[in-house]
Amino acid sequence: MVVSSPKKKARPNSPQYESSNKGPYYWNEAIHPEYKAIVDFTFNEKSNKELLKKGFGVVLSHREDGIARGSGFVSTLNTFSNKSLLLNDAACFYSFKKGSSNQVYPSSLMGCIALLRQFNYDADWYNNSTPAFKDYSIETYLNSLNKPQLFITNNNLDLLRAAKIANEFNLNYVIKGGGDEYERINEIKNTGKTFIIPLVFPKAYDVEDPYDASKISTRKLRHWLNAPLNLSILEKNEITFAITSKGLGAEAFLKNIRLAVSKGLSKESAYKALTETPASILMMSEEIGKIQPGKWANLIICSDEFFENKGVILENWVQGNPTILSISKEIDIRGKYNLNTNQNIRTLIVNGDRNKPKATIQYNLISDSITNGDLILDPVTGKPFKITKKKIVPVSISLEDNKINLSYQLNNGAFILSGVVNFDSGSWDGNGQNPNGNWIQWTAIRNEKFEVKKEIKIFTNDSTIYSPIYPSASFGFDTLPVNQSFLIKNTTVWTSENDGILFNTDVLINNGEIKYIGNVLDLVDKSTIIIDGSNKHLTAGLIDEHSHIAISRGVNEGSHSVTAEVRLLDVINPNDVNIFRQIAGGVTTSQLLHGSANPVGGQSALIKLRWGANADQMKFENAPGFIKFALGENVKQSNWGDRNTTRFPQSRMGVEQVYYDAFTRAKEYGESWKLYYNTKKKGKHILPQPRKDLQLETLLEILNSTRFITCHSYVQSEINMLMKVADSMGFKLNTFTHILEGYKVADKMKKHGAGGSTFSDWWAYKYEVKEAIPHNASLLNAMGITVAINSDDAEMGRRLNQEAAKGIKYGGMSEEDAINMVTINPAKLLHIDDKVGSIKVGKDADLVLWTENPLSIYSKVDKTFIDGKLYFDLNKQPEKERALRKERASIISKMIAFKNAGGKVQKVKPPNEILHNCSLIKDDGN
Amino acid sequence: MNKLLSILYIVFCSTIISQETPGSIQQKSILLLDGTAHIGNGQVIKRSAIGIENGKITMVENSLVRTIDTSNYDEIIHIKGKHVYPGFIACNSTLGLMDIGAVRASRDLYEVGEYNPNIRSIIAYNTDSKITTTVRTNGILLGQICPKGGVISGSSSLVQFDAWNWEDALIKADEGIHLNWPRYYNRSKKDKSQLLSNYQKRGKEIVEFFNRAFVYQKNSKTATTNIRLKAMNGLFNGTQQLYVHANYVKEITDIINFKKEFNISKLCIIGGYDSWMVAKQLKENNISVMLPRIHSLPKNNHDNIHLPYSLPSKLAESGVLFCIQNSGDMQEMITRNLPFMVGTAIAYGLDYETGVASITLNAAKILGVDDKLGSLELGKDATLFVSKGDAFDIKTNKVEISLINGRLISLDNDQIRNYNKYKKKFNID
Repeated sequence: MVVSSPKKKARPNSPQYESSNKGPYYWNEAIHPEYKAIVDFTFNEKSNKELLKKGFGVVLSHREDGIARGSGFVSTLNTFSNKSLLLNDAACFYSFKKGSSNQVYPSSLMGCIALLRQFNYDADWYNNSTPAFKDYSIETYLNSLNKPQLFITNNNLDLLRAAKIANEFNLNYVIKGGGDEYERINEIKNTGKTFIIPLVFPKAYDVEDPYDASKISTRKLRHWLNAPLNLSILEKNEITFAITSKGLGAEAFLKNIRLAVSKGLSKESAYKALTETPASILMMSEEIGKIQPGKWANLIICSDEFFENKGVILENWVQGNPTILSISKEIDIRGKYNLNTNQNIRTLIVNGDRNKPKATIQYNLISDSITNGDLILDPVTGKPFKITKKKIVPVSISLEDNKINLSYQLNNGAFILSGVVNFDSGSWDGNGQNPNGNWIQWTAIRNEKFEVKKEIKIFTNDSTIYSPIYPSASFGFDTLPVNQSFLIKNTTVWTSENDGILFNTDVLINNGEIKYIGNVLDLVDKSTIIIDGSNKHLTAGLIDEHSHIAISRGVNEGSHSVTAEVRLLDVINPNDVNIFRQIAGGVTTSQLLHGSANPVGGQSALIKLRWGANADQMKFENAPGFIKFALGENVKQSNWGDRNTTRFPQSRMGVEQVYYDAFTRAKEYGESWKLYYNTKKKGKHILPQPRKDLQLETLLEILNSTRFITCHSYVQSEINMLMKVADSMGFKLNTFTHILEGYKVADKMKKHGAGGSTFSDWWAYKYEVKEAIPHNASLLNAMGITVAINSDDAEMGRRLNQEAAKGIKYGGMSEEDAINMVTINPAKLLHIDDKVGSIKVGKDADLVLWTENPLSIYSKVDKTFIDGKLYFDLNKQPEKERALRKERASIISKMIAFKNAGGKVQKVKPPNEILHNCSLIKDDGN
Repeated sequence: MNKLLSILYIVFCSTIISQETPGSIQQKSILLLDGTAHIGNGQVIKRSAIGIENGKITMVENSLVRTIDTSNYDEIIHIKGKHVYPGFIACNSTLGLMDIGAVRASRDLYEVGEYNPNIRSIIAYNTDSKITTTVRTNGILLGQICPKGGVISGSSSLVQFDAWNWEDALIKADEGIHLNWPRYYNRSKKDKSQLLSNYQKRGKEIVEFFNRAFVYQKNSKTATTNIRLKAMNGLFNGTQQLYVHANYVKEITDIINFKKEFNISKLCIIGGYDSWMVAKQLKENNISVMLPRIHSLPKNNHDNIHLPYSLPSKLAESGVLFCIQNSGDMQEMITRNLPFMVGTAIAYGLDYETGVASITLNAAKILGVDDKLGSLELGKDATLFVSKGDAFDIKTNKVEISLINGRLISLDNDQIRNYNKYKKKFNID
């Protein structure tokens, strides 16, 4: 069905911060639960027919626009459209896509999530209090919560994110997935939700050119192989799902559903997913979903079983009205006939589409051979050569029920014949007129049947079993690392503790912890794996205080000046290969920070780089929350172009006031809750409950010292300013990140108690970093400030040891101090130094074994352990690469076989990957 | 003799206040004694004696096997345990063309228009850039300054990093012209077939421009002057090198054919991420390569995770003439890390002395100045430096003496001064 798209609004001349929807609506244009798709519905014959051809009788339609999209409607495919609407406001739709709204907020996935959460809190509050205003959007939302709630996503990461929101607000979302559920099937099963699964399978690539083939990501190759198995895997895991045909034409839909069945989906499940389950999702099981007395007479008649390749939908009955989609096979008239008109017998060939056959008359014309006007004579007989020409004459043929008309033109004129097709369809007879206008009798007797090829040929790969890979990216694991007992013997241990560097020492790790440091000798049991650490060096796993890897769709919610409500933890992308690359550089923990597009950014995510784990499992357990603040050029939009000159602040002066304003609001917010809780009469609250505000709540956490700040900072004036703001508002700056002019205000930082996490030697890329010096870290360190070296860059993140060594080169730091800048110091800054950051008994076994002094340029990571599990082994890497090459080659050869068998392929498109850094505003689409 | 060294230091540190003053012409002869000399041609002399007179290297000997007559030298500097290297060369550099990337007024590397062979980077080269003084303190003393942008960006020149003005800095003017080869794999969401046709269309445009230039130089006497086409003459008569910026096999293959088609004698590929895959063809066609920034991520997710680190060792095996360059984000200030990129390449299989060559003699060969620069050999310019330790390892790279044409250059810069200023403020020693 066609629901017209929203009209494209002209892009405003300057960023649009307020909603252009004036009236009693929610403040953000992407939230419009009051919208009813029926308003923009138009009946479209063609799309109606296409759905009938797929075999559907009832559809649920909505408009794909916005985060809270409003309601969709259920209609039948009855062409008598006044009967077709079964249910208006049948279901409510949601997504993580902003859609046509020109309002700047939200600009990122995490912003979309925050907005949807805030909206739900607002609705709760509206429902449970007596607000002094009417919000039509919220009211419609509240009134429609008893209807099915459908969440549209396109991949398993978003699917799990939607499920989390459902849990938070106790919503019963039915989630439309992306067809890649098999990759994270356990997590998806554990949501307990019902799903709507698309049948769109990825197209194969044209990989005959090996250089082109090398541009396809491993995940895409695997997905081509495994996507057709998705539904059968869902079934095996007893997950309830309906199937949507969206994105597929009738032919492709039928092909793909049959393909899924051929790949192990049971016909029962497939049938259910197209009938009962959707009916039950729509809460319309009383009316539709089964052939039963009392239900709508919506049914299809197939020539054979629907899920078999030879099955053809002949008729689709909707509300008792049949649509003939295909003439039954019984009257397949195609074949080779002897056409007899008045004793003239000619060959009639009928072929082409069964429903639209084409015909020709073929006969031999014998004539004299003539060249250049001369008869060619046979030198033996002296008579002209005879040549035989095959003559083909097109016949126009029309067939209605069993009545048939034929007409064709021969040399002597036109023949017009009319007759009937007899029951066996192989014999026709009737009367007609010859070119002279005389009535003649005719018959056509079939002597050869048209060879019926398979009706729908399905091309596929031969994959039948899915072997999970975690994650489904290059260098994923087929079996996840497990907890083992390791003894690293006779090595140089950089403890990052008071013990300094210990030589010829053994370190025992067991159960994810460091158990023993010293000389173990016979203490270990037989299951302990012994690693020779001689000539090697062991350090604690490196900690990157400032990273932007593994983030989905936007590192900046760069729209508003304060976006404390957004959370990086909502958008972890565990499939980013940079996680593995960091591990190979010795990093075991990374703080994923919001970008620096606004004075108050979003809440940070601290993750352990447990490559292969899902997004939730990556989270560093029991670590305090952090938030990103930013100062300087980025927040005042200095380098954003001429269009962005209207957001407050545009100068460093304005930045200060943004903070005063935000924290003043947060304080008042806190007071209003305090007042609410403390004002009781007979144990009951008597004041109206304040509205929960995710942004102010986060700022309040800072004031209550339960959330800490990492602040992007460059110039001394602003660093000084923020510490003064903090002092006067009663909070602390935990960490200044970048802090390139920290060396100028080290005394003030020390007095305030702030730490620094800095680049080793970056400078000169913008005006505010022209005074940066590579001696900064050393000077801060010498001043007794806790100082870390960070990356802010996926590439540099895997060479943090080298970056730390620059402290030695430029500032004459000791080697121990240098390594501490990437181990215990960032752990201290992140308040996780009780768990990680040094080699100490009882701490997490996050360890890196190096081939040489870790501060040497020649040092390589030999092994990386996280939680006592071996995640990276330099010696195993060649084997891992060989396996990856082999796997890719095997899929590529399958694609070539597929193409050679006649399957359709697409040209290789290079990947569109963007690496995040602080100032990136773009959405990378991942 | 360490005393003399400290005297030299005092002289430098005390006479220079804010802006570094270019060193004065060598008057006194110098002998660098007993340091480990990395010649640049693959050789290493553990205990060397290097004589320097009138800006030239006049002696390179092994002091263990030869008795060195020290009396011929005005200054004898003992550098036992220290390392001497030829001045490192930053190829494909934009130093002096841009200081602060985010400030438009500071950007002098792009010109408008697509075919600008007549553009000359040298005249915009700023000898007083604050970045250059932070680069040479790590041993990088020379740079090939390249214009950017368009299809043909213009010509590059080789300069030394201690000069009063660009004329003074110039070593080799307009030594080559830079062509940005169209990208076969463009990171666009558009249909690939369209991209391919764009690639082909772009390729045709380039061929057409070269055709015009070729015809022009044949008939230069009769034709009306076209300064763009005229600027291309050197490519056809072999006096200038064509630098082609490209990374992938398909592009490189087309470039090889292009070289043949126009009979271009000197061609160097800048980038060449895939060059090791077609090394044989590159060698056969006498094409050199300036490899991409070592400290970068693999271009494909499934590539060996250390591939960029091991590109030099892969190419070294094949015998293709290559050097290492550092273009990319923030390339001006990152130039000072060029030696450490070589260090990483050595960690991933490159032979140490080949590593030395990869930013000295090999670069000089590609630039066509190996007759006077790039190695510590008799008769060459005394453009070299002494590092307290291994110059490729971050913790030991400590440049103590730096000479350009025998002139002692200042090793101070704004950053060091700022550091000292605040150390003093906070009483840190």
